[in-house]
Amino acid sequence: MTRSSSSSSSPALAFARNAAPVLVVALLAIGFWWLLSATVYQGKGYLLPSPQEVAAATVENAATLAGATLSTLKEALLGYALAIVVGIAGAAVLAQSRLLERSLYPYAVLLQTVPVVAIAPLIVLWFGYNELSVVIVSFIMSLFPIINNTMLGLRSTSRNLAELFALHRAGGLVSFWKLRLPGALPHIFAGLRISAGLSVIGAIVGEFIIGSGNAEGGLGVQIVFAQGRMYTALLFAEVIAATLLGFLFFLVVSAIGRLLLRHWHESALGS
Amino acid sequence: MSGAAVGLEGVSKRFDTRKDGGLLALDTVDFALRPGEFVSIVGPSGCGKSTLLRIMAGLVAPSTGRCTRPDGIETAFVFQEAALLPWRNVERNAQLLMELEGHPPQSYRPRAAEALKLVGLAGFEKSYPHQLSGGMRMRLSLARALALRPGLLLLDEPLAAVDELTRDVLQEELSSLWRQAGFTGVLVTHNVHEAVYLSNRVVVMSPRPGRILDVIDVPFAYPRAPELRASADFAALTGQVTAVLRAQHHAQAVA
Repeated sequence: MTRSSSSSSSPALAFARNAAPVLVVALLAIGFWWLLSATVYQGKGYLLPSPQEVAAATVENAATLAGATLSTLKEALLGYALAIVVGIAGAAVLAQSRLLERSLYPYAVLLQTVPVVAIAPLIVLWFGYNELSVVIVSFIMSLFPIINNTMLGLRSTSRNLAELFALHRAGGLVSFWKLRLPGALPHIFAGLRISAGLSVIGAIVGEFIIGSGNAEGGLGVQIVFAQGRMYTALLFAEVIAATLLGFLFFLVVSAIGRLLLRHWHESALGS
Repeated sequence: MSGAAVGLEGVSKRFDTRKDGGLLALDTVDFALRPGEFVSIVGPSGCGKSTLLRIMAGLVAPSTGRCTRPDGIETAFVFQEAALLPWRNVERNAQLLMELEGHPPQSYRPRAAEALKLVGLAGFEKSYPHQLSGGMRMRLSLARALALRPGLLLLDEPLAAVDELTRDVLQEELSSLWRQAGFTGVLVTHNVHEAVYLSNRVVVMSPRPGRILDVIDVPFAYPRAPELRASADFAALTGQVTAVLRAQHHAQAVA
């Protein structure tokens, strides 16, 4: 009756099965990278440093790198959290009526289509050369997928269930909490997963604009800095750190989603 | 809890469409449900029988005429799809309607347990809907309705989606539930055998616009044994219902 998966009885074994293919690809990629750096780019470390050089740069600048990563993490996390709150609440308001949706949704789309790189200087102008501007860029970058997917989820309520709730005189608020919001969770998490990476990208873009004036800044600041010094090995280390940061966001959000949906949604059953 | 009496007086329903005049789904339906009886409504697809059920539920307002129900009775509706909340386990699904109707929270657990026991789902409280078979989901849907202790239970083709063996078993269980719980039951179906097996009376409706063609009394005493379905009297009665349906069908085909 219950779906038991005897094959994944050991968590360690399950992890190995999931992680092994990814790790094999990573090793192949690093191998290829090393090969390139040792042949075509031999002696041109400023264009393509070898994996060893990047590792050395990472160790050498560990403190700066960790500080920058932490700083970007903080900004991206704030922007992302703000986008989650505003996105879900905004979608809940928009989903209340077609009129609201027709009058406000296009502006949500505009927020998505306006080139963030182009308005980031404006944001800096308004909010100053500080972390707040970075958080706002990250927020704008992450908002739309959350609004859009949440609205889709809130509109996907089963008609029979909506009738059932209407028959038993459930008000809008009760229907929202007991029916529409839980039913929208799979869609909401689809949006959250897309925005996880975007929030980090947004933070980095924001830091680019703030520029290298601030030596204590996050990864975006440090990347500009390393580029100016032609310190390509460190640049690589920073790009990798930024990528892993976005990936970490994604993993955490996915894990929370699976935890919440594990009993009922096809995407998470048996996980 | 005794069943409720429901009256339909000259009920018509016209749905607005782009064409002028709209679509007449129901045409002056007069019918009175007696307290505690079980009535089935049979008719071809699109004859407005589901609309009639929704009017009795208060989900849809009639265009003309009126539907009278006693005040303060609980009405529960069972859909063709079990319409469960997939994120709630069996027990919490069974409690849903009590929550919506504002029953006192301390009654949720005992009432849900009682209803789940009635439909044979005791022991499955912590399971989730995706773990249940089609028949069990329908049982849960029934339990959810019964937990309200309804005076009026409206069933919209609840057994259309389950396999035939399960359907026979569920019909027998539904009949015994009705006798135990004492609600007034209205079943919409296009299965003539199901209608005759379960009901005190069978209402036969015409194709659109839906009108009542005939109301046929079913004289068999309750409890009705499963073997009743194989008897000659049963066959005669289902034949009679089918004949009314078919005569109308032919009349339409000729016209």
